[in-house]
Amino acid sequence: MLAKYQAILRMKFVEMFSYQLSTIVWMFGTMVQPLITMMVWMNIYPDQGDAFILYFISLIMVERLTSAWDVWEMDRQIREGTFSYQIVRPFHPVHWAIAENIVYKGLFLVILVPCWMVLSIFLPTLQLQLSPGQWGLFLAALFLGAIIRFSVSFLFGILGFWMTKVTALYAMFEAVSLFISGRIAPFSLLPPVVKQISIFLPYRYMIGFPLEILTGAYDTHTLIVGFTGAVIWAFILIGAICWLWKAGLKKNQAVGG
Amino acid sequence: MRRYWRMFKEFFRTCLVEELEYRSEFVGNLLTSLFGIIVSILMVQIFFYQTDQLGGWAYADVLILLGIYNTLQGLIDFALRPNMPRLLLHIRMGTLDYVLTKPVDSMFFVSLRHLNFWRLIDVLLGLGLTVYGLVEKQFFPSFLDVVFFFLTILSALMIIYSLWMLLMTTAFWVIRMDDLSFLFNSFFETTRFPITMYKGWMRMALTYLLPAAFLTFTPASSLIGRWDVQTTIASGLVAIIFFWLARRFWKFALANYTSASS
Repeated sequence: MLAKYQAILRMKFVEMFSYQLSTIVWMFGTMVQPLITMMVWMNIYPDQGDAFILYFISLIMVERLTSAWDVWEMDRQIREGTFSYQIVRPFHPVHWAIAENIVYKGLFLVILVPCWMVLSIFLPTLQLQLSPGQWGLFLAALFLGAIIRFSVSFLFGILGFWMTKVTALYAMFEAVSLFISGRIAPFSLLPPVVKQISIFLPYRYMIGFPLEILTGAYDTHTLIVGFTGAVIWAFILIGAICWLWKAGLKKNQAVGG
Repeated sequence: MRRYWRMFKEFFRTCLVEELEYRSEFVGNLLTSLFGIIVSILMVQIFFYQTDQLGGWAYADVLILLGIYNTLQGLIDFALRPNMPRLLLHIRMGTLDYVLTKPVDSMFFVSLRHLNFWRLIDVLLGLGLTVYGLVEKQFFPSFLDVVFFFLTILSALMIIYSLWMLLMTTAFWVIRMDDLSFLFNSFFETTRFPITMYKGWMRMALTYLLPAAFLTFTPASSLIGRWDVQTTIASGLVAIIFFWLARRFWKFALANYTSASS
């Protein structure tokens, strides 16, 4: 298992370098929307500029490190019929997707962490003072967030066996996530109703919750609720993937020859 | 000019005939568009939950601007976006030669040949939102306001077309097209809110370097009576400059183009 992973990780690593330009374009392009939102908030509360800078720069980091794109790939592959090649391989396709995620997120880390360091020289608010324990909590929450986002994306990808418009559906899911996951506003600025709802939905655990730990906007109660919610959602989604995958394979009729 | 207008009408007709074979997609497209505009309105409402002005603009003003944003976005998706992947195919397959030998201007043909009608729903929704914003503001634009609005929106359309062409022309050297349209989206996103919201060098860059300010901000200001002659002239000049640049770049690319086929 480990040897297999080593092999596909290396493969995905090499693959990544053939798409250098697009990787860079996507990485920096996705920063625009959070930066605009940051400007809006700094405009509304001019005296809290530093807090918003910290929040939204962290948001960019967390968003990149938990991002998921598998649904787009799977949709294309199922539509064109090339997904069949993946199915007949002796190693479950999900592992290829996971390996790809590890490689790309590693790259994001390697690029974004130095950027953060340089930025923090000019913007002292970015110099984090976290204890090792807090770092541990943050990384755990981030990891859970990445699992949840990846699972949702993969789940929608599997739905591609039944439907042709999964990417449109996934785009809607992402649009809702704008509000509830903490991308449009820090959690504390959302209307109370949205806050209430967000505890029961997976969105907050994808991005908002790790961010709250990183920016220090949490208490014990938040931690308990957050980790419980995140773990429950991770289990639900992984279970759903296992079950849907089997059903999907039965349904699959492979396009193309 | 008349000839090109006639040709555009012909493109319009053939694409419409093509599209009408897929009439069942209407409901899906309508839902997506409705969902999109609702999300952007909700976004504005989240901001106005905490404040009553954004860069000096009240809620109704921002809605008017958002309506114009949606309309322009719809027009881009209607006329420009469907053509981008096709140019790439033309270049890769060598079929661009057929386009070049046609007795039409190649830039015109390549950029407007294919249309996606469903996105006109976005245009209608955007216009509706603008009208709603005006009603909410209880403002009736005077004749002069409307004239200035049309002048500035014309410049905006020309700037958008030129920027899009500048980006699309890089297809001769760059391979992945979805990246390019993503790049344009990221830029266009900055025009979603009043440009007065940005501070310092950002605002400078978005006005003079990348003319984002002239896309939604000047038309919206004109419509609510905050026009001035200088800005309108400036927007016209910027439009002409960018169109000239796009034109030059396209010619330059063609001059360096060596067909892909035999």
